[in-house]
Amino acid sequence: MSTSHGILPRIKQNLALMRGSIMEGLVFRTSTLALIIGNLIYLVIIYFLWKAIYDSSPTDTVNGMRFYDTMVYLVLASAMFNFLNNFVVWDLGRGYQSGEIVEFLVKPIDYQRYLFWGTSGNSVVTFFITFLPTFFAVYFITHGSFALGINLVFFAVSVVLAVTINFCMDFFVGTICFYTQSIWGVNIMKEVVISLLSGATIPLAFFPEQLRRIVDFLPFQAIYHTPLHLLTGEGLVISDYMKAIGIQLLWAFVMLFISKAFWKRSLKTLTINGG
Amino acid sequence: MEPMIQMTGVHKEFKVVNRREGVRGSILDLFSRDYQILHAVNDVTLNIMPGEMVGYLGPNGAGKSTTIKMMTGILEPTSGEILVNKRVPYKNRTRNAQDIGVVFGQRTQLWWALPVIESFKILKEIYRIPDQEYKDNLEYYDALVGAGSLYHKAVREMSLGQRTLCDILAAFLHNPGIVFMDEPTIGLDVSMKGKIRQLVSSLNERKGTTVILTTHDMGDVDALCKRIVIIDKGKMIYDNDIQHLQQYFGAYRTVKIQFGRKTEEIETKALEKQAKEVEGWLLEKFPQAKSTAVSVEDKWIQILLNEDEIRMMQAVNCIQDNRRIMDMNLQEITTESVIRKIYEGGIA
Repeated sequence: MSTSHGILPRIKQNLALMRGSIMEGLVFRTSTLALIIGNLIYLVIIYFLWKAIYDSSPTDTVNGMRFYDTMVYLVLASAMFNFLNNFVVWDLGRGYQSGEIVEFLVKPIDYQRYLFWGTSGNSVVTFFITFLPTFFAVYFITHGSFALGINLVFFAVSVVLAVTINFCMDFFVGTICFYTQSIWGVNIMKEVVISLLSGATIPLAFFPEQLRRIVDFLPFQAIYHTPLHLLTGEGLVISDYMKAIGIQLLWAFVMLFISKAFWKRSLKTLTINGG
Repeated sequence: MEPMIQMTGVHKEFKVVNRREGVRGSILDLFSRDYQILHAVNDVTLNIMPGEMVGYLGPNGAGKSTTIKMMTGILEPTSGEILVNKRVPYKNRTRNAQDIGVVFGQRTQLWWALPVIESFKILKEIYRIPDQEYKDNLEYYDALVGAGSLYHKAVREMSLGQRTLCDILAAFLHNPGIVFMDEPTIGLDVSMKGKIRQLVSSLNERKGTTVILTTHDMGDVDALCKRIVIIDKGKMIYDNDIQHLQQYFGAYRTVKIQFGRKTEEIETKALEKQAKEVEGWLLEKFPQAKSTAVSVEDKWIQILLNEDEIRMMQAVNCIQDNRRIMDMNLQEITTESVIRKIYEGGIA
């Protein structure tokens, strides 16, 4: 991107793309409905699964979490999954295979930025349509199992960072498709790794000690575990919040850098070897 | 005047793995270092002036897309120099992008689910089009092709013709210096083709845009381009006015006829016999028409005529007098047939 232009036109570009993708997200109402129903089925399954786990345990608390805490965590994680889930890997992979990516390479805008803002609206729509209702439902059903205070501010910041880290990972994996010529397998692998190591399907508290230590040094936990911990964690003080956000911020920068560098490199091979 | 596009001795090579046969071959290919160099574009030198409309023709796989990708900065030439608007496209891709528009037939840059006006609004921000310029363009588009009625229609609900029209309008929206069009009229009916050609010609005239057009339809070229560049197997084989080419397709018409639809009548052998007869009738009645050629192609008898020597209707009447024609078809002239003629005629 040329630096001779100011920041304002860039923000206007981003907002225009976001606006477009919000409108696009609102068009596909049936897919949103399918998302909600699918999500409900998933919740029923995990309810019975974890019920069985807790029933077979001699104590009410497993790994410091009651059944109740676990369910709140997992319901919110699945609601987050809805707006973090996107088609960036498919967009990139298919764009490369069909040559459609050329359409975007002839535009005076960095493709990564284009794709981020051009899909951001979907996350915004799903946030309001599925996450917020789930959030309030959980809050009222559990009679306030988490606080509504300063934690919400940090949660909001944390979610934005989670979206960024998640996008960069998807963008990175999507770029891998340039080399593998296949999308499906690569995407499945990414989903398995992220859903496990991020704490989206099993709270990190249930991980064995060694694995937990490894996961702490990986970026995945910054996607689900961090925001949910900031939202529902008890007895957190400002320094805890700041530290968590700081680590997330660091990962956001690292992932942004890595995905951008990999993209630039891959684009270079594309310009030499053709698509 | 400085040329808009300047290509000097441009080469583009691709390295491709030599593929082997069968499952065993496929496995061996995984470890293969056996590469072959493919010369997609071979020593192309070309200057295109601002405002020119150039038809860039060639058979599939001739190197057209590769050349265009190099001009847009998506591909880097292996050797040689390209300057587009005095800039090296692949070094300043985003800067270069600001000044070009691209239309790929059968693909769209418009947002599928949204009304077309929303795509235009996004393009306005991406290309940083000033408000006044944007407004003027929309009004001009409406006056030109009545685009106003399409602005609020979702792209996915449009016909291919309407979508292509909007894609062309989108490509011109930021008043680029150059617009590349890759088969813009592919798949469209005759009246829509006409409308699209009219539109491109008006836009070029009004904005002085340089247009590079690749197509397989000689009609596009005939309607739009004064100059033609033909490339085949990576090499430029023709670069001249359309008038020079006209003798190769201008007065020529191809008529296809069938005398019957029953299988025994459209067998190759029977057709060849019929073709001989047709040729005989035509030669007898119009001995002056020396370039008339009758051949058999895919269950049809194909008659190539030079209208300067013989009128198409005369020929058809003559055949009809001898035998009842069951089905008839007037062919569009494809760029391929012109290229074939160039090879046969040996002009360059």
